[in-house]
Amino acid sequence: MFSARDLMSSSGPEQPPIDRLKLRLAVLGVLVVAVFVALFSRLWYLQVLAADEFEQLAKENRVRTVYSEPARGRILDRNGFVLVDNRHSTTVTVDRQIVETPVKKAAIFKRLSRLLKVPVQELNERLNDVNVSPYKPVALAYDVPLGVVSWIEGNPENFEGVEIDTRPVRFYPQGQWAAQILGYVGEITDTMLEEDYFRKARPIYRPGDIVGRTGLERTYDKQLRGKPAISRLVVNSSNKVVDSTEVQEAEPGADLITHLDIRIQKAAEQALAAGIAANKAANYTPTDAAALVLDPNTGGVVAMASYPTFDPALLADGFQTKDDKILGGATPNYEPDDATKNRTITAANSPGSVFKVPVAIAALSLGVSDIGELIDCPNIRYFGADQQPFRNWTSTNYGLIDYARSLEISCDTFYYELGWRMEDRWGAGNGDGSERFQKALRRIGFDDPTGIDLPNEAGGVIPDQKWLNDYCAAVDGPAGCTDWFPGYSVNMSIGQFSLTVTPMQMALNYAAVINGGKMLDPSVASYFGRPRHELTTIEEELPSVAPLASVSPTTSPAPSPSPSGELSPTPIPTPLSSPTPTPSPSGFSTDLSGSEARASLDDEKVISRIKPKVVGRLPVGSEVLEELKQGLEDVVTGNDGTAVSAFAGFPLDRIPIAGKTGTAEIGETGKTRAWFISYAPADDPQYVIAVYMNEAGHGGESAAPIAREIYEAIFGIDSATGDVSLGQDESG
Amino acid sequence: MRADGLFGQAVDRIGGEPISSRMARKAPIRHLDPSLLLVTLVLSVFGAVMVFSATASKQEEAGLDPGLFLKRQIAYAVGGAIALLVFSLFDYRHLKSLSVVLYGGTVATLGLVLTGLGEVVGGARRWIDFGFFQIQPSEFAKVAVIVAVAAFLAERKGDIGGKDILATLGIVALPAVLIFLEPDLGTMMVFVALTAVLLMLGGARLRHFLILGAVGIVVVIGAVKMGVIRDYQIERVTAFMDPNPDPQSEGYNLTQSKIAIASGGLRGKGLQADNTQTTLDFVPEQQTDFIFTAVGEQVGFLGCSFLLGLFAFLIWRALRIAMMSRDLFGTLIAGGIAAYWAFQVFVNVGMTMGIMPITGIPLPFISFGGSAMLTNFVAVALLLNIHMRRFL
Repeated sequence: MFSARDLMSSSGPEQPPIDRLKLRLAVLGVLVVAVFVALFSRLWYLQVLAADEFEQLAKENRVRTVYSEPARGRILDRNGFVLVDNRHSTTVTVDRQIVETPVKKAAIFKRLSRLLKVPVQELNERLNDVNVSPYKPVALAYDVPLGVVSWIEGNPENFEGVEIDTRPVRFYPQGQWAAQILGYVGEITDTMLEEDYFRKARPIYRPGDIVGRTGLERTYDKQLRGKPAISRLVVNSSNKVVDSTEVQEAEPGADLITHLDIRIQKAAEQALAAGIAANKAANYTPTDAAALVLDPNTGGVVAMASYPTFDPALLADGFQTKDDKILGGATPNYEPDDATKNRTITAANSPGSVFKVPVAIAALSLGVSDIGELIDCPNIRYFGADQQPFRNWTSTNYGLIDYARSLEISCDTFYYELGWRMEDRWGAGNGDGSERFQKALRRIGFDDPTGIDLPNEAGGVIPDQKWLNDYCAAVDGPAGCTDWFPGYSVNMSIGQFSLTVTPMQMALNYAAVINGGKMLDPSVASYFGRPRHELTTIEEELPSVAPLASVSPTTSPAPSPSPSGELSPTPIPTPLSSPTPTPSPSGFSTDLSGSEARASLDDEKVISRIKPKVVGRLPVGSEVLEELKQGLEDVVTGNDGTAVSAFAGFPLDRIPIAGKTGTAEIGETGKTRAWFISYAPADDPQYVIAVYMNEAGHGGESAAPIAREIYEAIFGIDSATGDVSLGQDESG
Repeated sequence: MRADGLFGQAVDRIGGEPISSRMARKAPIRHLDPSLLLVTLVLSVFGAVMVFSATASKQEEAGLDPGLFLKRQIAYAVGGAIALLVFSLFDYRHLKSLSVVLYGGTVATLGLVLTGLGEVVGGARRWIDFGFFQIQPSEFAKVAVIVAVAAFLAERKGDIGGKDILATLGIVALPAVLIFLEPDLGTMMVFVALTAVLLMLGGARLRHFLILGAVGIVVVIGAVKMGVIRDYQIERVTAFMDPNPDPQSEGYNLTQSKIAIASGGLRGKGLQADNTQTTLDFVPEQQTDFIFTAVGEQVGFLGCSFLLGLFAFLIWRALRIAMMSRDLFGTLIAGGIAAYWAFQVFVNVGMTMGIMPITGIPLPFISFGGSAMLTNFVAVALLLNIHMRRFL
């Protein structure tokens, strides 16, 4: 094979030029050196210069932060009745990422539509709801029947991207009552995220969080929501969890115990509804109404009934598009239809004669009169240079009367005189323009929201020159502005003109009169608590952190320990008609269903209290308050009282009632708004009740009977029918 | 006095006898290059450790033997050691005539791969399955082509013209085209690089390279235009230049690969450290083409430098042997092997760091794989062979 010469051919004449080969090997060597220089520089850049930056990327690769929402706190009434609780709802959800091809989506939605009996159109609305987090599967239906669940789970190939999930939803054991007070929850909106309340909160709010949209749910969202559990998960390339650490333990939301009494709340709503029906029957056209029950000693809100109303359970699923339909009322954007409005605090209307009490206080505090003065009550008075006439509501001439009598017969000319005196000295028309009448009214709580712990409170209006300028400018442009006519002040003194107040402001004013002058800061919330048994449960659960098997980029809320589930096996029976188990007030004649959902408040460990606050004192002495109270009692019990007929047959000897009727003219429509602000028992007031009804009859006719109905429920007075029968009242 | 090596005749200062003839009296084993053996051993152990650390946790998680890849890699290395012994025992010059057989056999197996015998993995037909093991003939072809071209050019004795170059291209083209058809663009590029280096060492002139370069550009453009090189291949080659790669594409592998290496930092995160790109399986094909990411993440810049240093030392030894060889055949083989390793290290490591296109070229001695391991050991054997017999 090989010749010897081949093997020995190390030297010979055909030897290639040695130096050239050497050079060529050197070129190869240089190339190799270049290769290694390139690799080393790149390595240096990556591992030394850019290492931190890439380590961050590596972390993002593997670390997932998972938030598990805790159980939201419950809302209870003052006797432990659970008003809002949580329950788990079986939901059908759809992953937006998966149903992205239109053809596939159409097919799946068609199947779902048949199965869920929801039109495809509506399913699409729910899927495209911008208020639902893009990071979570979207819920298409709640409370899905078992048959549907097993059908979907049995045919996964037909329902790609569709999952069955359980989600916590709010639950109202007592039924539809107190809808506007409690509010409802939904996913936080972008606008809300930018509000200070949410933006500055810690732990932070994130898109997709369930928050209170209105009512107590909104005001106390921070306390009710608790703290989410935060886990850091390490996942591998197939998104499988290989390691998890809990960074923050879940803390269930605190229970909110309110001053509300669900039995009185229910009675108030029923009385209001019955009052609306009775007024309709009397050929009135009531559009909206409210009844407020307040504790005059603490400012605690016992009940707030508002008409129209809605059932909050219908909103528990958080389908915004559907919610809008429910909440928009029969006529969208028509304010009187808006069922979400809590009219005890949002409806600012002219009060009519119920405003005579604050006007008396203003006049007496300013010294234009004193409590012992007798003022003439003719059927007509004339004021000003042009002797403009101002008439009483009745043609009767009562002569000289005192303050108590002025309230009993609701004498308009008495108060015209007070209004004129104040206008004449300080008014913008006749006086020096210091407007002390208005300032005095503001000082005792008007023209400003009361600061109650509910959203969207209105402040009302006490008109003055500045208000008039703004008003004219808005209506007629700058040229349309007019000077302040002295008559405005005269009309304001009987709660007319453009003066508006809320039922809450009126109730607080009367409460101050009867509690010795204390102006209170009202609140619905009483304190935050936590069930003791839950506290121990949490501690027991601490060591065991359930390892999660797998994770999607976001997780559905972890199954929360259901407080209601633990309570319900041993419900506390509360026969409401029997006075024994219930603390005062006792003896409800109305039957309250859903009474099994009741917690023992002894079990609630108090976390923090919302203490009643006294924000000021009425600027008048006790002799003034006594005289005013006398007058208010006479309205109901006196010979000529405007609410006497409304309380005919009521056991006033046992439960004395005091109050003031009001009938305000609504613009130039000829229609009237009925008011009745009252309290009971008159000798030891426990409740102030403020009622108004728009487009109804007179105060004693349309509003006072509603208050009577509520008192009957509170004090266990057996009314004949449970219906509201209108009283007789023709006063202004 | 002439320098020793490069076919020169050094004369013994004492006896006047040429050193080569005095040295030639000694057994070839007395002229062994032990440092080459040592660096081969260290590289193989380093590689085995990396293969183990890149696979153990994933195997364990899948409920499989965590040591499976390690055991197989050791078996390959043992097979490689046997091949090393075989290929260093006989005088390498016998390969001159044997090269025809070697070459023919290689081309034949490459042809077999393309027939129904070839195993299709990931869209490419690169392996022949023998039940217990698979072989990848394109790996063996690399050394076979080096030997064949070296044999051909050595005959020309450094004086080559256009015809010789065309003949050389013909020798390389046959296996290269077969490999291109598998398709395996990366391995084909190795052949292009090897041919260039061998032609340079074999005596081709600068003008030859200029002409070849021009023709090469025309051929590549033509191949792209005519669709011989497919879109996905172009995409693969250019993916490393895309700053924002699509997570589903090749670019994703590259991103994960760079993250793995860079997050190793100066000292690395340690072997089988928890929650790393390696143990969480973020780098695909990590035990084979992307093994350098396991090195980078686990032992950091220091470990990578050590590994690259080993490669530098290995290639330096190969170049030194090319210099010391007693004949042009040995010089061409040793130079070809040096170029083969340098090219593979550059392309493989460069690819994981994002400065070279993503191709299926393994990292010598480190990447998991039997055919490559065997080929690399044969290459070491040839170097030892040339070194041992430099005086004969």
